[in-house]
Amino acid sequence: MKPEILEGRIWLITDGEGKRLDDIDTDMIFHNRWLYITDVKEMGKYAFGNTEGWEDFPEKAKEGDILVVGRNFGAGSSRQQAVDCFRALGIQAVVGESFGAIYKRNAINSGMPLVEAPGIFESGLKSGDTVKINLRTGEITSRNVGFKARPMPSVSLDIYHAGDLFAYAEKLKG
Amino acid sequence: MPTIAEKILNRASGQNAVAGDIVSARVDRAMSHDNAALVWKNFKSLGVDKVWDNEKIVIPIDHRVPANNIKVAEGQKAIREMVKLQGIKHYYGINTGICHQIMPEKGHVKPGWLIVGTDSHTTTYGAFGAFSTGIGATEMAGVWATGELWLRVPHTIKINVTGNLPKGSYPKDLILHIIGKLTAEGANYRAVEFYGDTMEKMSVSGRMTVSNMSMEMGAKAAIIPPDEKTFEWLRPRREGELEGAYADPDAVYEREIDFDVSDLEPQVAKPHTVDNVSPVSDVAGKHLDQVFIGSCTNGRADDFEVVAKILEGKKIHPDVRLIVGPASYEVYLEAIEKGYIQTMIKAGAVVINPGCGPCLGAHEGIMASGERGLSTTNRNFRGRMGSPDSELFLASPATAAVSAITGEITDPRGWL
Repeated sequence: MKPEILEGRIWLITDGEGKRLDDIDTDMIFHNRWLYITDVKEMGKYAFGNTEGWEDFPEKAKEGDILVVGRNFGAGSSRQQAVDCFRALGIQAVVGESFGAIYKRNAINSGMPLVEAPGIFESGLKSGDTVKINLRTGEITSRNVGFKARPMPSVSLDIYHAGDLFAYAEKLKG
Repeated sequence: MPTIAEKILNRASGQNAVAGDIVSARVDRAMSHDNAALVWKNFKSLGVDKVWDNEKIVIPIDHRVPANNIKVAEGQKAIREMVKLQGIKHYYGINTGICHQIMPEKGHVKPGWLIVGTDSHTTTYGAFGAFSTGIGATEMAGVWATGELWLRVPHTIKINVTGNLPKGSYPKDLILHIIGKLTAEGANYRAVEFYGDTMEKMSVSGRMTVSNMSMEMGAKAAIIPPDEKTFEWLRPRREGELEGAYADPDAVYEREIDFDVSDLEPQVAKPHTVDNVSPVSDVAGKHLDQVFIGSCTNGRADDFEVVAKILEGKKIHPDVRLIVGPASYEVYLEAIEKGYIQTMIKAGAVVINPGCGPCLGAHEGIMASGERGLSTTNRNFRGRMGSPDSELFLASPATAAVSAITGEITDPRGWL
């Protein structure tokens, strides 16, 4: 079993004026010029490489950090690199207002905890805050903020605990 | 009372599910393009020797053809070796075309089928009444091993389109308009079904444009009920009986939306999102550096017919680079036989080989910083066609052709 309560520093993905960035697409997260890379470890240094103002994210991010993103995060292409690049950086979880459908599937299948949290940008949380996320209940708390996100569905949690989709399928076979 | 999506997924899973249920479904075809290299890498980690069915996996190489650098060449070599090793029957090399054109052309699409592909625009085959959707490379490795995947049966949005498209407006303008209204997340996790006399009158090629681009509003599947036109198109390409899956008259839809296209002006998607849509007339006059006409969205013979008629006897603006990319070799040959290619070349176009090339900024038409392009493709995300500091507008082939002549974004009405 992996921990169901995660603790880490958050990054609110916003524009230069601190406004929530919606519809961050897969080309912004992981630009096509790096798509030839098949080694996940190598993908980290290109995360957000095409998102204005966030190009240096890979240098700033620390293992265990948590992303807080806007609406329809990961819209667009089916490219899994857009999830894997964050795994490579050691990002623990992605919390978002909402997600693109294929992105969500890719994240779940790769065992990356994905928490749907409509309204999270109005919760008072700030970049750099340390939060605790309870994946099973959806509770997100910092020193001075309490927020209720959607609980992670049980199948997604099972895949997370197993490691990824393949490990989960192995487990089912028993 | 099932919708088309429910019918197809129930057939593929042997269950009696409704929207919201999760089913384990058997796929009829699994398509991967150049990213088959990544799928193969994942597959090898599974400890399974053989793919579940070497006749149901389709691999067209299209994103960077012929290979444009050593790393890409290595990936394509790995795919060819895998194809031999696994005995994959349906491999299409660099001389065939774009996956979403190849799939139906080569008979790998059938009404009522469940098709998955490692490409988001796999929704294209909904134009033939299939439930087809994009998945990631890890998940595809699982499909290669088992032939199955888990799917949540989506709720369906019903879109009714009525009226005759006015002169100068095309299926591309219609789908841009719809995406603009519904937004980039308007159909997230949902299937869309298209109905109405506009859809019935629309050519198969136009329907492919609509299903292809529906992904840009998040649609998981974009299904147009098949009719005699669909069957006629497919018959020479596929043996066996063709039968559609249709919604019951009392099917339950999440939403119904009506569009009347009788007064629809030519549309354009502005930088840097596909749902940033307005009439072409709102942005007319903007200077252009590059125009691309082609791709799986609008690179078919009927698209080039429109373009050739406009370009006949004319020259493109000297400041514009016009690039033309047919969706497949079948399309390419037809366009040559009908004289469209000659006309476009004489007007100043550069014709590239069928493939994805410029659409995703891979090669053969990358824009520099500060440049502005107009394209008939399906995405205009920041940096999609090259420099993150370039701008890309999306429009119909007619708008693209006229704008290539004038050197600025131009409403095609009055030129036709």
